[in-house]
Amino acid sequence: MSDLALLVPELILVGMALVLILVARRIRTARVAVVGTVLAALAAAVASGWLLSRGTETGFGGMITLDGYSQFFKILIASSLALVALVSVRSIDREQIPRAEYHVLLLLASTGMMLSVSALDLLTLYLGLELMTLCSYILVGITVQRPTSNEAAIKYFLIASFASALLLYGISLTYGTTGGTAFVDIASALSEHGLGSNPLLVVAMGLMVAGLAFKIAAVPFHSWAPDAYQGAISPVAAFLATGSKAAGLAVLGRVSLVAFGSEAQVLSVLLAGLAALSIIVGSILALAQTDMKRLLAYSSIAHVGYALLGLIAGTPEGASTTMIYAFFYVFMTLGAFCVVIALGERGENLDGYRGLAAQRPLIGALMLLFLLSLTGIPPTAGFVAKFGVILSAMRAGHIALAVLAVAFSVVSAFIYMRVAVFMYMEEPREAAPSHLPLAVSAALAVAALVTLIGGILPGSLVGWAVSP
Amino acid sequence: MSAYPVLSVTTFLPLAGAVLILLMGRERLARWVALATTVATLAVSAPLYWHFDKSSSALQFVESAEWIPAWNIAYGMGVDGISLPFIFLAAVLSVLCVGASWTAIQTRTRGFYAALLVAETAMIGLFSAANLFLFFIFWELIIVPLFLLIGIWGSSGRVYAAVKFLLFTLAGSVLMLVGMIALHHTCGTLDFKALALARQSLQPEQQAWLFAAFLAAFAVKVPMFPVHTWLPDAHTEAPTAGSVILAGILLKMGAYGFLRVSLPILPDAVRLFLKPMLVISAVAIVYGAYVTLVQKDVKRLIAFSSVSHMGFVTLGIFTLTRSGVEGAILQMINHGIVTAALFLCVGMIYERTHTREIKDYGGVGKIAPVYSTLLALFCLAAAGFPGLNSFVGEFLIIGGAFETRGWLGAMAVWGVALGTTYLLWLYYRVVMGKTNPGLVGLELELNSREVATLAPLALLALCLGLYPELVLSYLRAPVAALLAGVAP
Repeated sequence: MSDLALLVPELILVGMALVLILVARRIRTARVAVVGTVLAALAAAVASGWLLSRGTETGFGGMITLDGYSQFFKILIASSLALVALVSVRSIDREQIPRAEYHVLLLLASTGMMLSVSALDLLTLYLGLELMTLCSYILVGITVQRPTSNEAAIKYFLIASFASALLLYGISLTYGTTGGTAFVDIASALSEHGLGSNPLLVVAMGLMVAGLAFKIAAVPFHSWAPDAYQGAISPVAAFLATGSKAAGLAVLGRVSLVAFGSEAQVLSVLLAGLAALSIIVGSILALAQTDMKRLLAYSSIAHVGYALLGLIAGTPEGASTTMIYAFFYVFMTLGAFCVVIALGERGENLDGYRGLAAQRPLIGALMLLFLLSLTGIPPTAGFVAKFGVILSAMRAGHIALAVLAVAFSVVSAFIYMRVAVFMYMEEPREAAPSHLPLAVSAALAVAALVTLIGGILPGSLVGWAVSP
Repeated sequence: MSAYPVLSVTTFLPLAGAVLILLMGRERLARWVALATTVATLAVSAPLYWHFDKSSSALQFVESAEWIPAWNIAYGMGVDGISLPFIFLAAVLSVLCVGASWTAIQTRTRGFYAALLVAETAMIGLFSAANLFLFFIFWELIIVPLFLLIGIWGSSGRVYAAVKFLLFTLAGSVLMLVGMIALHHTCGTLDFKALALARQSLQPEQQAWLFAAFLAAFAVKVPMFPVHTWLPDAHTEAPTAGSVILAGILLKMGAYGFLRVSLPILPDAVRLFLKPMLVISAVAIVYGAYVTLVQKDVKRLIAFSSVSHMGFVTLGIFTLTRSGVEGAILQMINHGIVTAALFLCVGMIYERTHTREIKDYGGVGKIAPVYSTLLALFCLAAAGFPGLNSFVGEFLIIGGAFETRGWLGAMAVWGVALGTTYLLWLYYRVVMGKTNPGLVGLELELNSREVATLAPLALLALCLGLYPELVLSYLRAPVAALLAGVAP
């Protein structure tokens, strides 16, 4: 089997991107592009699932792998792409965004994510992440007429390119000290000499973790996220909060387990610090937000902290709880963003949620479901996710961190339930929102189903999430 | 033994009813569906009482299925003599809640009855859970419908009360989550039976920390002094059905947690914490009673009386004597019946007068004799009048307290005396004396629906008062086994 077969999901996305570019001038409604993107995403997900049955393989001279871990995240990324494409319908028409180009960027960003999660080499990893980030810059600034969007794009570009530089510097230092960029080479060099043999290695590892922490917006590398989310149109914010975070977590997981697996103790200190800070800062700053997208941005920062808890242990079991967390996080966050998008202008402000449940009971109930899941209250997926990562932190002996994590879930309950109070216990001030486009309803339904079923019957997903 | 999963059916039937109500477009049908569902739930739970083997202390009607095999977590249901009476109580109170809300709830009725039914699922599920994971899920599940019930259909201060309720209970239960995960990490299982067997692998120090973590959750729910402050607000602001569920079942969940988790799994820690627990309970009894005395709001008064009454329950449990524990469980059932009835009584008259201030009442007896008679019955029952249900429970608890420490028994007796004072004084101010001018011309007498709502509780109060064996016979075997496990 040729090496190209390992990249079938990526090739599908790139193929669709090329087709969209070619026919760009003929696309008159957003719907066509949406259908194309969603079909490509579904095909990529199916291809990932099909490849999964072939077992573990490596290709391209050991730079790309096909294993349960990469396919898990590819399916997750494809789902995130499909849902984001669905909810973009209205924004594209309202903001007069170039239809084909927008979707091409989404497709290419997803390709980059998929490439990075299957990378077994620091270079392919970097290429994948940069493809993702490059497309994201443009996506954030795609509403050219809006000054806030431009500002957000520039901020995001400046900070993220700094992060990329850090990552690249870390990679080059690693190459200089270990003589290789492949994960196996790094791991064997480390197990031979140990981290202490060369202080540059410690610096290299720290720089790489910092660079990746930027990508997933973990504290103290988070400052770009709220501005970028707020300035970007909501579907793009949703895409940044879900797909790119999942990819970043996947990459961080593989690097920490495979490349630096023998140095788990040093790494766990760094990761524990990132996790604790993200949970504390994300939760506390979310308390003060009145803009929904900023609120969700800070909430996503806190959630990254929770997801990192699984990686602290440095064990495959721990990493698999992070996989589960990432999976459910993507769907519940996308669900919350779907509601924000469904409500249009009204959804972007906390005040807009007043009386929503009385006007539109179904949307209110779904938002409540996503909020409960984000809080981590059973029987929603968020609870299963939280249970897993805290179990993993406990296994790693970080009891204080586990207590901190649950204590801040009470703080987060206050954040999310404030929205619920507005929806259910206040009188409406604005007219009822108009009916939803079919695409948005479909995305909402998918997100809600995963959030609910994932909470009630998580068994098969938990069994499926196997880390390298 | 019936072959079909009677516990799961009883637990999830209300949930199915809730879904049905939400799917139906008609607001006016909601209460009928809710009534049918709650009655059906009571009916399908009947085999539990017929086929129950009272001589066994093991879990019965056990169901188990694979759930999350990768984490060694299974779906497990089962009841013993301790949990069975609570399932009955929850099923009965749910029917009565629908009856009490029949005309009181006029807005967004579908949501109201759906929330009520979800709460019923959580209540029954909690008492049927055979493992800690499922227990925790139902424990948390009940928070959501009650948060909505208080916050949407409550009275003027509802939002504050709802948020306070949510944050207090959540703060307690997240520590239980940590405790549960620590237990899972140490013992590798969450099944109650397996945990009780695996407890040897827990160091005494670990047990103490775990006990503290679970205590945080249970103490908030009971509620024990000094974390009771959410209760008066929640009870007062909640709609009648919400108060009934809170007082009738929710408060018992905490004490049930002690019996299901702390005593069997963490016995060393229980003995270690015995003294502080007894002291806190005694303080709750006396302090709660004094605070109750000065209340001016009827609902707040009954709410605070719960603090005192639940102090009896925790006192009984931590005497670790047979009569104390049996009395505590019986008292939980009694308190569930009587306090629920008192809240129903208050709710019914509030619907007509729209005031809860005691000073706005007076002389109700002349206008509403049937109401006053029932209220007298429930007030006397709550005060521990011989021949009515609470007497037996309190008597057993006080017996257990005297067995342990003389001064504990003295405190408990003091609490009973104060209880009689505030209840009879309440009755005096509301029912006797001159008719308050504000009440003249109001139709205060109960209609037949309301009498039918109160009658089952009156009947239960009488039956349990005259023949407590109805409940005690279920308790004997499991309580003996429980205490044998705690003994050093």
